[in-house]
Amino acid sequence: MITAQDLTKRYGDRTVVTDLSFTVRPGTVTGFLGPNGAGKSTTMRMILGLDAPTRGHATVGGRAYAAHPAPLTEVGALLEARSVHPGRTAHHHLRALALTHGIPKSRVEHVLGLTGLTDVANRRVKGFSLGMGQRLGIAAALLGDPATVILDEPVNGLDPEGVRWIRTLLKSLAAEGRTVLISSHLMSETALTADHLVIIGRGRLLADTTVADFVRHSGTGTVKVVTPDATALVRQLAAPGVTITTDAPGSLTVQGADAEHIGRTAAAHGIPLFELTPSTASLEEAFMDLTHDTVEYPTALEGAAA
Amino acid sequence: MTTTAPPYRVTPARVLRSEWHKLWTLRSTWINLAATAALTLAMGIGVSAAYDGSGGGGMDTVVFVLLGTQFATITLAVLGILATAGEYSTGQIRATMTAVPRRLPVLWSKAAVLAAAAFPLCLWTNLLTFPLAQAFLGDTDQSASLGDPDVLRGLAGNAAGLTLLTVLALCLGAVTRSVPLAIGAYIGLLMILPEVLAMLPYAFVDDAVDHFPAQALQTLTATDTASPGTALIALALWAAAALAAAATTLRRRDV
Repeated sequence: MITAQDLTKRYGDRTVVTDLSFTVRPGTVTGFLGPNGAGKSTTMRMILGLDAPTRGHATVGGRAYAAHPAPLTEVGALLEARSVHPGRTAHHHLRALALTHGIPKSRVEHVLGLTGLTDVANRRVKGFSLGMGQRLGIAAALLGDPATVILDEPVNGLDPEGVRWIRTLLKSLAAEGRTVLISSHLMSETALTADHLVIIGRGRLLADTTVADFVRHSGTGTVKVVTPDATALVRQLAAPGVTITTDAPGSLTVQGADAEHIGRTAAAHGIPLFELTPSTASLEEAFMDLTHDTVEYPTALEGAAA
Repeated sequence: MTTTAPPYRVTPARVLRSEWHKLWTLRSTWINLAATAALTLAMGIGVSAAYDGSGGGGMDTVVFVLLGTQFATITLAVLGILATAGEYSTGQIRATMTAVPRRLPVLWSKAAVLAAAAFPLCLWTNLLTFPLAQAFLGDTDQSASLGDPDVLRGLAGNAAGLTLLTVLALCLGAVTRSVPLAIGAYIGLLMILPEVLAMLPYAFVDDAVDHFPAQALQTLTATDTASPGTALIALALWAAAALAAAATTLRRRDV
């Protein structure tokens, strides 16, 4: 369980995080979303005690991170970029961290195996690819078998196979009852893994909600239907909470009913369907709508359109 | 013992062991220490072999034989600076401080580990260099033996002084968090600042300069000094002040 209470961080006259309060609960994956420069990394650094908040405080498992006698067993963290001396081997890097807590060598071997780094464990980190470096960071995060896992942009630099591995790993960590917080600037990626969302922009809380609620309220979760018998289908689908719009003859956008329901309804009434496409791209759009005004560096295109 | 709830916790001894492990798992440490020893030995033997028995100009014997430790004041300082400032340039510091969020044990451990590496190395190198160099100095005015008064004290004093300088450099690295900046500050403090201050026409400044790190090391090394104890205390105070500054920086500033 992570609790942030009125977290505020100011660097000189620049306020990076403002009065940020949220709770991350165990047993679920929480996505921490926001555009670049929204203050995600700074917030994570404050949770870990690397940065001192200007105001407010953050606790993990009821205490400040630094107050835990064995912090690595409380929180495992993967921070931005690399936090490794490139001249050391992966094994020695993890071993040095393990020694601070009296974590045995066998656990080091275990996390190396878990992250698929056993074969390169005795190579210096200098020669690691972005993906291997990321895996090493995750190995370090899991070293203390922590109750809470905080990962800053974990899929960065990973190949598709690695991305899938991360998703499965995060879900299994949450299923074991751990608290999992992952930051990202991509809504679509996060929605595949997370159950809960904390969305920030310019250091302020924009939304603290579940993925399901976000989808429902953001007007997403629509289904595109193409049928030669649009009128009949509209009649059959009509129900409270279902909105149907037409953008071209025979093409419908249905909101409030899922693809399965539409498909079954059409089949039951013998209405042929040419296309039945749940829209997921619009999830990203909804996220962009929400954060649009808080984007740190709007592109020239946006500027011109505004 | 059962495997339920392993008694993991951070202790000072464990942080020390971790820092010890970190020091020796970097290739640069081995290269640095080997170079430090080799330069002291080679310079000591080299200048002694080339010495023609005159022109030593009354230089102290131990200072003469340990001329190569001038290099050690730089190489060991670089090792100390890399141990702290190097962690900031590589990003390792984030991993280190996440594992030990109370921070200060890391500083104490780094200083202790560096001292534990530097002191025996310097001592044994000096004890080896002296007799080897003396083999060439038999009939000169620089002739001396390990048993002569204050020779062992000079050799050990030099090792202690170099160790304290290493700790001082380590702290400069922790305060500046930049390898080039720390090296610059160290060289300025050791070589440039005393020269500049010595030009001032005040006697008390000259007295103060005698207690600057490089001058105190020289005093500690020579056999003909009146107060080696004062020089050792002066160096220890420099190291202690630097440790205090490093600790304050580490506690107050964000990582």
